[in-house]
Amino acid sequence: MTKTKRMTMITMLVAISIMFHMIEAMIPIPIFVPGFKLGFANIVGLVALYMFGFKVMLEVNLMRVCLASLIRGVLFGTGFWLSLCGILLSSFACALAKRYTPMSIYGVSVAGSCFHAVGQVIAVTFIYQQFFMQAILPVLILLGIPTGLCIAYIAKQVLKRIQ
Amino acid sequence: MNRADKIFICIVVACSVLFYVPLVWSAYQEKDKAKEVVVSFKDQEILRERLDIDHVYKVKGTLGPVTVEIKDHKVRVEKETSPNHLCSIQGWVSESNRPIVCLPNNIVVEIKSSGNFEDEVDTVIQ
Repeated sequence: MTKTKRMTMITMLVAISIMFHMIEAMIPIPIFVPGFKLGFANIVGLVALYMFGFKVMLEVNLMRVCLASLIRGVLFGTGFWLSLCGILLSSFACALAKRYTPMSIYGVSVAGSCFHAVGQVIAVTFIYQQFFMQAILPVLILLGIPTGLCIAYIAKQVLKRIQ
Repeated sequence: MNRADKIFICIVVACSVLFYVPLVWSAYQEKDKAKEVVVSFKDQEILRERLDIDHVYKVKGTLGPVTVEIKDHKVRVEKETSPNHLCSIQGWVSESNRPIVCLPNNIVVEIKSSGNFEDEVDTVIQ
């Protein structure tokens, strides 16, 4: 892959993930758990991780959170910090899971979605100086398993077709 | 999915179930104690009322007034201004480990067990 092609590819990944992030905010979720989202944007994160590696994934994720918040007009608001904290932990968890364990894309994705929940709860605890979200954390993590698997499946199909 | 994935998922499930044990245990401990409703705005406590007195309270959130209703030892957010109305959809809550969170308004409604109230009967000897 040439340098230009690589750059274009990454830029396109960022663009797609921003789109997912924005569309997701508009979809109402029937299950009521505060902070629960499907996380379609993480498909792009996973694709970036498996195509280019950890650095690009972190880049795509951070760019996505910052730019999508900027476009939606919630930059530096509460939701932005939740997303940022979640995405940082999730990216690191994915990278570590991919590098140091024999897990396939499914396990990596589940690790990412679970640690996204952990990151969000940490951010809420910091912002509100309260520990109430700990009660919701296990529910968020359990819900993160099916969504993580679903996202891994989609990412796998995308990778199969892209390569 | 390979074997490592399955083991990892099992560990995650086990961890999150284990996480609930102390919460359930503390809820069991607090079952018969007197309870209070605590409403906080950002990190400040703005309202603390007893759960056994039915009343409707109004507090100020970021986007407008938030109406908190206490009835039959339960509490709910009756009315509020927010994009998704998640906290009023949540409905009645009576356990201390399920807070009502309204992020757009920066309001958190929690049930906490307080010490004994003055007029509470500790023991009755007949």
